[in-house]
Amino acid sequence: MSARVGVVRFLGTNCDRDLWQAAEGAGLKPEWLWYEDNFEPMDYAALLIPGGFSYGDYLRCGALAARTPVMKSVRKAAQQGVPILGICNGFQVLCEAELLPGALLPNQSGRFVDAWVELKLENSKDSWASGRPGSSVYLPVAHGDGRYHINEEGLKAIEDRGQIWWRYSKNPNGSVADIAGVSDPSGKVVGLMPHPERAVAEWMGGQDGLQFFKEIS
Amino acid sequence: MDKKLAHYRLSEAEYDKICELLGRPPRGLEWALFSALWSEHCSYKSSRRHLKKFYSQSQRVLESFGENAGVIDLGEGERLAFKMESHNHPSYIEPYQGAATGVGGILRDIFTMGARPIALADFLCFGEPNKGPMNHLVDGVVRGISGYGNCVGVPTVTGQTEFHPSYQGNILVNAMAVGLFSPGDPVVTSKAQGPGNVVVYVGAKTGRDGVHGASMASESFAEDSASKRPTVQIGDPFYEKLLIESCLEVIGKGLVVAIQDMGAAGLTSSSFEMAAKGAVGLRLFLDRVPLRDSSITPEEILLSESQERMLLIATPDNLPDLKEVFWRWGLEAEVIGEVTEGKEVELFWGLEKLVSIDPLLLTENAPNYDRPYEVWRDKNRLGSPAEVVAQVQELGQAHMARPSEGANSVLAELEALLASVEGCSRQWIYQQYDQRVGARTMVDASGPVAALRLADSERALGVTLGLRPYLMRFDARQGAMDAVAFPALELAAKGFQPLAMTDCLNFGNPEKPEIMGEFVASIEAMSEICKELDVPVISGNVSFYNETQGVNITSTPTTGLVGLRKNLRGIPKDSFVNSGDQIYLLHSPMLLCTGQWGEMKGSGRVAQGHGEIHPGQVSELLKILLKLSHHSEVTATRMVGKMGLAYSLARMAVERPDGELGAQVSLEPLGSEIRKAYGTEQTSELISSSLLFHETLYQVLLTTSEQVGPEIMMQEFAELLNACGLSLESSNLKLVHLGQVQAERMIISDQSLLLEAKVGELKKLWQEGWRKHFATMA
Repeated sequence: MSARVGVVRFLGTNCDRDLWQAAEGAGLKPEWLWYEDNFEPMDYAALLIPGGFSYGDYLRCGALAARTPVMKSVRKAAQQGVPILGICNGFQVLCEAELLPGALLPNQSGRFVDAWVELKLENSKDSWASGRPGSSVYLPVAHGDGRYHINEEGLKAIEDRGQIWWRYSKNPNGSVADIAGVSDPSGKVVGLMPHPERAVAEWMGGQDGLQFFKEIS
Repeated sequence: MDKKLAHYRLSEAEYDKICELLGRPPRGLEWALFSALWSEHCSYKSSRRHLKKFYSQSQRVLESFGENAGVIDLGEGERLAFKMESHNHPSYIEPYQGAATGVGGILRDIFTMGARPIALADFLCFGEPNKGPMNHLVDGVVRGISGYGNCVGVPTVTGQTEFHPSYQGNILVNAMAVGLFSPGDPVVTSKAQGPGNVVVYVGAKTGRDGVHGASMASESFAEDSASKRPTVQIGDPFYEKLLIESCLEVIGKGLVVAIQDMGAAGLTSSSFEMAAKGAVGLRLFLDRVPLRDSSITPEEILLSESQERMLLIATPDNLPDLKEVFWRWGLEAEVIGEVTEGKEVELFWGLEKLVSIDPLLLTENAPNYDRPYEVWRDKNRLGSPAEVVAQVQELGQAHMARPSEGANSVLAELEALLASVEGCSRQWIYQQYDQRVGARTMVDASGPVAALRLADSERALGVTLGLRPYLMRFDARQGAMDAVAFPALELAAKGFQPLAMTDCLNFGNPEKPEIMGEFVASIEAMSEICKELDVPVISGNVSFYNETQGVNITSTPTTGLVGLRKNLRGIPKDSFVNSGDQIYLLHSPMLLCTGQWGEMKGSGRVAQGHGEIHPGQVSELLKILLKLSHHSEVTATRMVGKMGLAYSLARMAVERPDGELGAQVSLEPLGSEIRKAYGTEQTSELISSSLLFHETLYQVLLTTSEQVGPEIMMQEFAELLNACGLSLESSNLKLVHLGQVQAERMIISDQSLLLEAKVGELKKLWQEGWRKHFATMA
């Protein structure tokens, strides 16, 4: 039986269908979770929080979404050890909800950037892409606010605890320490700025993104 | 009275006509209604009679002019809606909001019909970099498109950006949107129906922004364009995203009788057009329109162009469900009126009837001018091909870039073209657009043709824009024909059968016979070739009065074409693929001209040429290209475009994302082909240097795997021609072997070496050109 995964939608989310399609393609059984929903965390093998301008990125990216009713259940899921992946805006939401450390600031260039980038795995996470540290993937980024920021003390802490998940080979946005993705201390809650759901078939330009959905069971 | 006419931008003759239609002088709100709906922007009063000439009938066309966008049948259950529109004047006044709301407006035309928007494309024309406000305009327009398109989650997949002094005081911002109906999705129209049905207002509240916007867009700019800033609308892409999802949901659930967005002239045009199309009456209560500010007058409510607003007709039974869907998306749906038995649109404020008028007086009876126009005559023609070659030679000797030490002038010239604002990479623009949201993008804006996957049928959709302004300046008839032929051939070169077209006809002041002459010649030329290629025009937009202080823009009838490819695999690349691949040139000469290079070198003189585009010959080339682009051994294809053969070869080298592949090319066989074709007696050397930068319409570069050497290829080509009912001898089509792809270096020779370059260096110039021209921008 294929694993049930919850795909969280806020008003304005725009990568929801893409993520659904990728999850289905990876043999998962996606279900929508609406921003007003309460849900039972243990019903899901994992939660996916898509990218794309929830609430128009008004106030701060992810700030409004992080304060919606559904996040109560997401928080509960995190406490209960349900794996949670936030992509792009989903990463911003998880940071704003303080389920992940740090924050995502406007790109150093002051402009949106759409590009294919290479990422290097820093620490593998059992619930997620489990390649060997040092292995690389090729994924698209598309964001205006993707510059990962954390203070020096925080950076040392996440480095020491192995919470840095992926780093950019060539930094597209000015992120501190080239960070592209991080995890919480448990390694179950992860956030990633690039879009694995946009790289799951050769016709898309690559399928390195598939592995991000393969570990869910 | 003169003052009143000026305020409402109506002429005396128009006033007389209004009096005649009403049987009395207009009063109260009628002034505002006639002003808006009889504006050039809403009524197409200078263009209507000519637009009828467009080839628009084809079996695959389901909806055409008259609806928000045209719709074509893709077979296999899928249908496609697309349209292009201008937002030129607002973008000059306030570039960020002007461009953003241009994107928002064209998207509403698409999802209003029930299609999910899947792609955006932009055609931009700017003046000279670093001059006046131009850098600010470039920056603002690109940010505006990026800010809106990215947020609503529709990828911008292709575009074209041109620079020329004629756009200095009047930039062009044309946006195209493409929407997909999956199998089973309904198509809805804007035809109001069913007396007793309710009129529902959904979306943003009405404010004062954009009041008189439609009539502003129908005027030339004077010096005080900045004072028109209050008539520019402000966009809210988040709201638009909510409208997209909620409208598609209510349409999909069958809760909607008719729907129309409130675009130019806002509530006025949407309500009157819906009533006129359905031949029904409407009773609207303006006091029920949701307002941002209670002091707004009824006239302002009618004319406001506040963004992200829709007008729907629904049955009273469906109203609760309709409201529930919108409420779930955070939107309120307000009933503001009803459909009536009568023929009149009645506007009320509470119990007070403000106006009652037959909508046909404002729509069908709008003025339809036959503006005087100059009859078309060929322009800028030279007596023979030899004269074109001689002129290229002359321009080259006088103006070719000075070589640095150890190089030659041909190389220096190619380097200058790659770094020029006309020829450098547009990557700075496209990387600010989300090109992949929606997860359909197969080929992004880095190539001339964007490709999108159609998931339901596993086929590919091609989207590309057309029009080369320098060819319009050369000869508007040829330029307009090329605006169809070139993108159609670009599609065919990637294996896409061209299906249909939209256009955005940007011209100067139609009251000037020479401008009107170019307009009429353009439409006739486009229609002629559209018919020959069976590419119906399904939607479009006219933008007149692109004139600032007496200076008219280059007539710029931009086009957007879509094509269909039966499979996803094997789309030929745009750049070199493997070292060793064979390089061929498919050569089908019709029009020989000094081209964009000739204009750049000509010190203000436009390109000169000989010959003309023959639709029949374009059609032959298109058929052959469709076959070649599906050939399993063909690895890359590229239309030879602006600035000629050397520049196109260089682009095939510099566009390769990784590794460095160049080419070893000999022009000798091509030179002899040209001498034969044009009957010129020029020496080979003379021909060769001119071959590098002038333009022959049309030529296509293609590469094949190494084992398909000239002998095999010629044999296959002959068979292909036969299969299309042509022969090597009788056809004007020639295939010439030019050389092979090789690592690192680009070498072009004739009997002697003409050019040798390192691909890495060319690439650097091409990539860094933009930054050099726009050094002041971050």
